[in-house]
Amino acid sequence: MKWNLIRTKVLAALAGCLVVGVGGILALMSYSFTRNSRALATESVTGAQRLFTILEAREISKMTSVSETLLMDPRIHDAFAAKDRDRLLELTAPLYPRLKNEGITNWMFHTPEPNMVVFLRLHNPAKFGDRLDRFMDKEVVRTHAMVTGNELAKAGFAVRILRPVDNGCGGLAGYIEFGEEIGRFIHEMKNQTGDDYGLLLNKKFVDRQFWADSSAVWKRRDNWNDNPDYVLADKTTATDRIIEFQGNMAAVPMGGQVLERFQDGDSVFVRGIFPIRDAAGSTVGAMFVVRSISGLYQTMLHTRNVLVLVTVVALALGTFLVLVLLNRLVFRRLDQIIVVATRVVGGDYETEIRTNSDDEVGQFEQLFEQFRRVFVDLMEHVPELQEKT
Amino acid sequence: MSKLYDLKVLIENKIKADGLDAMSVKGKIGLRSGRTLALINATTPDDPDAVAKLRQAAKEVLNIDV
Repeated sequence: MKWNLIRTKVLAALAGCLVVGVGGILALMSYSFTRNSRALATESVTGAQRLFTILEAREISKMTSVSETLLMDPRIHDAFAAKDRDRLLELTAPLYPRLKNEGITNWMFHTPEPNMVVFLRLHNPAKFGDRLDRFMDKEVVRTHAMVTGNELAKAGFAVRILRPVDNGCGGLAGYIEFGEEIGRFIHEMKNQTGDDYGLLLNKKFVDRQFWADSSAVWKRRDNWNDNPDYVLADKTTATDRIIEFQGNMAAVPMGGQVLERFQDGDSVFVRGIFPIRDAAGSTVGAMFVVRSISGLYQTMLHTRNVLVLVTVVALALGTFLVLVLLNRLVFRRLDQIIVVATRVVGGDYETEIRTNSDDEVGQFEQLFEQFRRVFVDLMEHVPELQEKT
Repeated sequence: MSKLYDLKVLIENKIKADGLDAMSVKGKIGLRSGRTLALINATTPDDPDAVAKLRQAAKEVLNIDV
């Protein structure tokens, strides 16, 4: 390849354009995909947080309605006021399986202060008389009004309501409590959004032995040692691999945080996390959100490939056209001038330069033809040649 | 006889022998050597520089040593 040729230089310039064009497309597509995936991840986190809040409010409302309905039954109310545990169990036990089917897995009656112990535990009737001493217990004692919120107990994380029950004589008969496991929410959230979720709990708030026991009861793997700081309470995926968090849970901002984009086989995901606070306002856990963006990724790859192909074809076609034009308009005509000039020096005074255009090269052709005629006229007057002829 | 003229004759013979386009070949040699072959005759005075240039041009165009 001769670099001094205009043809080579034009070709090199167009090849450079091709490289810059393709590089630009790749960079632009990559930038666009990064921005879009981040926007999707942000939307996933905020959407999941909003949905979680809605579900939480809905379940609190449901448990509040159930508690009001139950307390309107004078038999239940009187049995509790009379502290007749057997009678209370007899009246409420048939209702518990139905409520459990609706997600209410925790149902308790508490005696009033100062002791405030569990009077009846519908989900475990044999166990009673223990004192829980949770934040919500203290709060309901302090306010004597219904307290709602999330509370992390030994068994797990639940959204609860705890409300006082009057004894019918202006006094306090005790308290009634309902609770729903938050782990259940994530499956409902997955049904609604299609995203995957994982509920992480801070180990500080979970009892190790209770976790091991409950893992055995629920026939799930005891994952306590998977991470030093948190434990995965529930998840919607078959694998734990896409729900891995190495950061500091307490440092996750209230509005949530987009973590990163990652690839698992042929699938591409974005991940985010938002904190879950208990009734006391402590960050006791976090919800992990995983959204598959494989569809977007495949679309981006397809668009990128099409753009690259179109650019390459367009530039190749452009290069071909430019070279054809240059050949027709410049190079071929310059070659003709060179041939004529050479032949004139060799003694051919007959061959003329034909000019068909008045473009730049045409003007040069005209000038050169004029020069040729002057040269031929000069040669015809040279004595040596005159003698020869 | 001048050396330049001898060279010219050798070149013309070679062109004839090879059946080449005489005008083109002589033109190329003339352009390379800076001398018009048509203006060289038996009385053309020798110039060592012109002789060397003509030899070099013949070598380049016809690949012959003259």
